[in-house]
Amino acid sequence: MSAQKKRNFQIEAFKHRVVVDPKYAEKTWKILEHAIHEIYNHNASGLSFEELYRNAYNMVLYKFGEKLYSGLVSTVTSHLKEIAKSIEAAQGGLFLEELSRKWAEHNKALQMIRDILMYMDRTFIPSSHKTPVHELGLSLWRDNIIHSSKIQSRLQDTLLELVQRERTGEVIDRGLMRNIIKMLMDLGSSVYKVDFEKLFLDVSADFYRGESQQFIECCDCGDYLKKAERRLNEEIERVSHYLDAKSEAKITNVVEKEMIESHMQRLVHMENSGLVNMIVDDKYEDLGRMYSLLRRVPNGLSLVRDVMTSHIRETGKQLVTDPERLKDPVDFVQRLLDEKDKHDKIVSLAFTNDKTFQNALNSSFEYFINLNPRSPEFMSLFVDDKLRKGLKGVSEEDVEIVLDKVMMLFRYLQEKDVYEKYYKQHLAKRLLSGKTVSEDAERSLIVKLKTECGYQFTSKLEGMFTDMKTSQDTMQGFYASMGPEIADYPTLTVQVLTTGSWPTQSSTTCNLPPEILGICERFRTYYLGTHTGRRLSWQTTMGTADLKATFGKGQKHELNVSTYQMCILMLFNNADRLSYKEIEQATEIPVSDLKRSLQSLACVKGKNVLRKEPMSKEVAEDDSFFFNDKFMSKLYKVKIGTVVAQKESEPEKQETRQRVEEDRKPQIEAAIVRIMKSRRVLDHNNIVAEVTKQLQSRFLPNPVVIKKRIESLIEREFLERDKVDRKLYRYLA
Amino acid sequence: MGIQNDRVRFNVGGKIFETTATTLAVAGRNSFFGAMFDENWNFQTENSHEFFIDRNPNCFSILIDLLRTGELFIPSNIPEKLLYREAQFYGLLDHVRAAKWGPFDGNQVRFSQAVMGQAPGDGTAIRAGPDGGCCVAHGSIVHVYDWMLQELPPINLDYQRVNDIGWIDAETVVAATSERLGRGRGGAALFGAATGELTHRFQVTHEDQVKSYTAGALSFSTDYKIFSSCKGRSNEYGIGVWDQITGQQIDFYYEPIGWSLGDADRLQWLDNTNCLLVATLFPRKDNCYISLLDFREKEHGLVMVRYRGSNHRREAGPRRDRYGREQFHLSRLMKGKMPDEPCYPKLALYDGQLFSSMNDSISVFSGPDWVLTSRLRRSYGGSICDFSIGGDRLFALHSEENVFDIWEAPPPPVT
Repeated sequence: MSAQKKRNFQIEAFKHRVVVDPKYAEKTWKILEHAIHEIYNHNASGLSFEELYRNAYNMVLYKFGEKLYSGLVSTVTSHLKEIAKSIEAAQGGLFLEELSRKWAEHNKALQMIRDILMYMDRTFIPSSHKTPVHELGLSLWRDNIIHSSKIQSRLQDTLLELVQRERTGEVIDRGLMRNIIKMLMDLGSSVYKVDFEKLFLDVSADFYRGESQQFIECCDCGDYLKKAERRLNEEIERVSHYLDAKSEAKITNVVEKEMIESHMQRLVHMENSGLVNMIVDDKYEDLGRMYSLLRRVPNGLSLVRDVMTSHIRETGKQLVTDPERLKDPVDFVQRLLDEKDKHDKIVSLAFTNDKTFQNALNSSFEYFINLNPRSPEFMSLFVDDKLRKGLKGVSEEDVEIVLDKVMMLFRYLQEKDVYEKYYKQHLAKRLLSGKTVSEDAERSLIVKLKTECGYQFTSKLEGMFTDMKTSQDTMQGFYASMGPEIADYPTLTVQVLTTGSWPTQSSTTCNLPPEILGICERFRTYYLGTHTGRRLSWQTTMGTADLKATFGKGQKHELNVSTYQMCILMLFNNADRLSYKEIEQATEIPVSDLKRSLQSLACVKGKNVLRKEPMSKEVAEDDSFFFNDKFMSKLYKVKIGTVVAQKESEPEKQETRQRVEEDRKPQIEAAIVRIMKSRRVLDHNNIVAEVTKQLQSRFLPNPVVIKKRIESLIEREFLERDKVDRKLYRYLA
Repeated sequence: MGIQNDRVRFNVGGKIFETTATTLAVAGRNSFFGAMFDENWNFQTENSHEFFIDRNPNCFSILIDLLRTGELFIPSNIPEKLLYREAQFYGLLDHVRAAKWGPFDGNQVRFSQAVMGQAPGDGTAIRAGPDGGCCVAHGSIVHVYDWMLQELPPINLDYQRVNDIGWIDAETVVAATSERLGRGRGGAALFGAATGELTHRFQVTHEDQVKSYTAGALSFSTDYKIFSSCKGRSNEYGIGVWDQITGQQIDFYYEPIGWSLGDADRLQWLDNTNCLLVATLFPRKDNCYISLLDFREKEHGLVMVRYRGSNHRREAGPRRDRYGREQFHLSRLMKGKMPDEPCYPKLALYDGQLFSSMNDSISVFSGPDWVLTSRLRRSYGGSICDFSIGGDRLFALHSEENVFDIWEAPPPPVT
């Protein structure tokens, strides 16, 4: 229209007609319509923004907004129909590219149209409740392009096919994918969900259902997990590259369900490669993978945990009930520790120290360790072994580590009081024989026991240490008081043990040789002189003696023997031959101890300072013994051990057991009285529950025993049965 | 767009202006200038390097100055309405509004202008809109003004008497009206602020039947609920609760015997306690009730605290712990001469300042001790029957003459 000769005049005339021309609206709209065509045809450079804006403004101002808006809708629609055709015509792989390009062009055109119609967008559209220009453009695109019958299903199929191709290893144009998906999202989240996401998830589910079936048939568990993990990561990566971030949870859910959840039973139990095999072979990486994958699905971890628990319980049970293992307590405990280390490592390396797995592990150990009633004894023996010799030359930290491990096993024990019994016995032996390697280690262990079980558990143990210390002081005082006459006597070392702190010993005595008796009497006088009101008795079962002996060829040896052996050997100072009866009569050593002592003096090769007739392994009552002139030894010092059963023999075990049971009675009674004192009235089941709770840090009381104790307390009128309800007990103050 | 040469030359209605693209960029993408200089429009400079704009050059100079400095200075020879129209053309109306007045402070506000209305009746209520506009209820009609104080199409609901009004957002006004027996349904309804069109009617349903009712006082909560005191024919007395978004009734608190909720003159939602204060006045009997509805104990019905006092108190303020002090002020202020037709004092709390209307002035109390710091007074128009603060403006409606005043804080001083 500006191709006239006089431009200025033309504009002037145009302006005049604006107001008067009845066809004003039509003409103005033509200008704008033309502009929209030009914009879509990439021909906008000749357009004047100011003119177009002003025209659109005027149309709204002169109440032609409705016409402007409907014109916009129909013009854009017709353009989109053209675009739809060109997209439909695109062949094969060009389809998406064409769609993407046209979408970009449409967006640009839309922006320009909105610029022109800005005034309408701001004033007319809100007051007439119409869709703003930009949203209008999007919804027209959706209706005319995306939902056009020829494009909709083709677009969906193409997108899904590309995903499928990428899954089978092909490289696809991710940028293009991203553009198209972005377009669907821009058109509204419902468009993305309905036109793509839903189908995508369905197709993925089918795909992974098939693939997982195939994998599970031909892979072992480790390989399968690797594949599943890779697929999962691929999907996450896919989402980050070209899908809506909200789809991540949905697609991973599909993979988890199809690849993990539906097969997890089979995977975990898979023969030769399942969870149990992984644990046995310490396959941390595979286990870690299993953990991280199965934690994604409901009940996945509980399955792993259950299988692990039953495996540990099974192997643990075999270990503790294997009669072979019972022969060597130290090895037995060492195996338990190894087992614990192994599983601790698995939990920490593969199961990220998951609390529930730690708990499962602990409860499994607690379960099987208590299956063997000798576990407390063996653990004490293990500690004994370590403290006697095992820790020689080991650094302090390593000692701590070993002790901590033992304490960990100790925590699993239900019968902690039994352990205490044995520990006390073993500690007493260590202390009295001076065999303990490190007093620091001993004390450290006691501190650990104290923090675990409380003051009362260790007070007697600490008492034993105190006794050792005071004895040293006492001996110093004793020798200081003796003066020079000390040279007349053999050296005597006495350890004064407080009754009650130490394991009760049968107070059998024997006749001490006169050489010793003298100084013993001196000591007794000295001790009772400084400590009034005390009583001393000699525990001959526990002492040792160093004897100097000269044998046939004049060679001298120092013999390290027990008190009993010393008594026997001293008899041979005055005789070369003594019969069993004579020895028994002279020493009054109890029969079993005497036999054992004689056996170790006469029947052990290399240590046979006595000769027995007849020569046999066992000591009989009509045997006779000779001083063995021909005794030979390379060493100057000869230690003659007593043949002691390190492990307890069957009757000893029974005895210990009985003592433990006996000790428990007052503890149970005390607990009952404590509870009843605060509750006043309680029924039977609740008492049993409370007592069990109170005492379980030390042992697991037997309900039958609790019942007996209650009955005993009733007899002694601490409690009474309720007169109406016989199940109720009352506390009698 | 001319990075090397930042300068831009306009011919506006025959007058030449020069400015820079940087200045124009202040207008934002969503404006005439933003679009014009977008790269899509590789704008043709023709031959003279200038852009022709067929608009008023005087207003253009004011607006270009606004873009340069962020300050608005309107010479007295330019009618504001003209400027607003031009700003609308360029898409700069928001800039103008933002520059026109400063953030609200009761101790800084200045009288801006008074707007006369032609409604015959006494004003019932005035409510400030969120963007600087307001609506005024007169008898059975509500006049709505935008921030430029242009009057928009009035609102009415079958010309029923309007009891209370309020803004849901900048586009929506809710009006509570009386039911007239046999003539109209009354009740509360939503209207488009710009068009005056009825967009939604809030319904009260009793035993699955829609009932007609009289809506009294209104209140709004931050979780998009509307409360209104409702008076029906039989059972529908109490407080109706609706959802602002869906418009559906979500609850109805029936008035227990001996309580007056349906007659309430004033509702106040207390945000942090989830309670609704309900104040009911019986002027003739000279006593009033203030009830507190506790919404936390919903399943146990209502926990009500009732306050019964003489008729001095007319307002339920949001600071319950301050009641005593407020009352003290008011009774002291009321000791002076009482006009024949008293306008009840009103209270408002805004940003830590307490506003109280009394006769023809509004007192401002500030600080933790509520010290009287300012008094806003205009000599004519009679007593102030209602006032409202919002959109950084205070609107005060007079009772004798149909006029309301606008108070606003000046823009920050030139530094």
